[in-house]
Amino acid sequence: MAYSFPLPVPWAARGWKAKIRDRERLEPPHVTILFRTKSWRWNLREGGFMDGSPDPKEVPPELVALIVANLAVLRAQWDVMYPENPISLREAGDD
Amino acid sequence: MTDAVLLVDHEGNSARYFEALNPKILRSTDEVQSAFDTHSRRALWIVPKSSGMKPLSTLRGGRRGDHRLLCLGHIEGVRREILHAHFRFVVAPADGVKLLPIDEMAEVLAAPHREDLFIGGAVDTIDRALVLYRGSLEPLVVPLAWFARSGGPRPDPEDFEVADFGQTIRLGEFEAAADAILYEFDPEARRRSKKRAIAEDQSFGGALRRLRKERGVRREDFEGVSAKEIARLERGEVDKPHADTLHKIAKTLGVSADELETY
Repeated sequence: MAYSFPLPVPWAARGWKAKIRDRERLEPPHVTILFRTKSWRWNLREGGFMDGSPDPKEVPPELVALIVANLAVLRAQWDVMYPENPISLREAGDD
Repeated sequence: MTDAVLLVDHEGNSARYFEALNPKILRSTDEVQSAFDTHSRRALWIVPKSSGMKPLSTLRGGRRGDHRLLCLGHIEGVRREILHAHFRFVVAPADGVKLLPIDEMAEVLAAPHREDLFIGGAVDTIDRALVLYRGSLEPLVVPLAWFARSGGPRPDPEDFEVADFGQTIRLGEFEAAADAILYEFDPEARRRSKKRAIAEDQSFGGALRRLRKERGVRREDFEGVSAKEIARLERGEVDKPHADTLHKIAKTLGVSADELETY
């Protein structure tokens, strides 16, 4: 089941969403912020926006702060949904 | 968006949804025929209601240019076949095809990256495939088997819809990201996505790691290539593998050696 991060009512009412869906591009782990036809991927491993377009400045700073403040929750959620590609990078072949 | 947009709206009450597309509104059979004859470039035709279909099914002349038709009302049987004779792509809610609500549809069609959004689709439960229609009206076929991941939730093909303004495919409680689908099935979308990435590792090792993860392949799963060697390639400690090794890697990942670096 897809994970929808519970955004405060004013954001949700305006149409903003933050999701980790059941089938995402796996690398790197991320949460997707959606607003109407636009979306921005936020890197859960290193922090920061993953794409330059659409312009990350279009995402309200308060919303970004909310994502950053809840990184632990989002990272844990990713690891539950994608245990084969966890936030931690270590796997066979690493010294 | 540079395509001509032609809105067949004889009742004149649907134009407000599509204002952002700046459409030419056609109200009579003569206007429809004239537009069909004169637009030689790519054109998007929108018919909001089934009742507006008659002028299109009586068009004279065969297919010309790159005309694409989106009908928001049902079209059935022979009429659909006739329309296929005139238009390169025809999308309409028939035979199990489900489309976005009209307000979301209009916004997707007006988006500059509409080819990367989906406006609808249909599930073929017999052949276990999903046909998705992009904002450009072009179809993309995705095997249902692609959606389920080992140990992950099960998609329900009986309960399909396109959601989030074309950015999510919902199958029951299961959701798939549109960009993940395009990344897997459309090399052009993959290239566009790589261009947008702020700091994506563009090396061979970065591509190998991304594709390996997408395919659910472990480093120790490559026949004839050790996990250590895969790890060294992914870390960039080796520029590019020997042709023989590259072939083995590509074979395990189910792509051609040339294609590997596009991921």
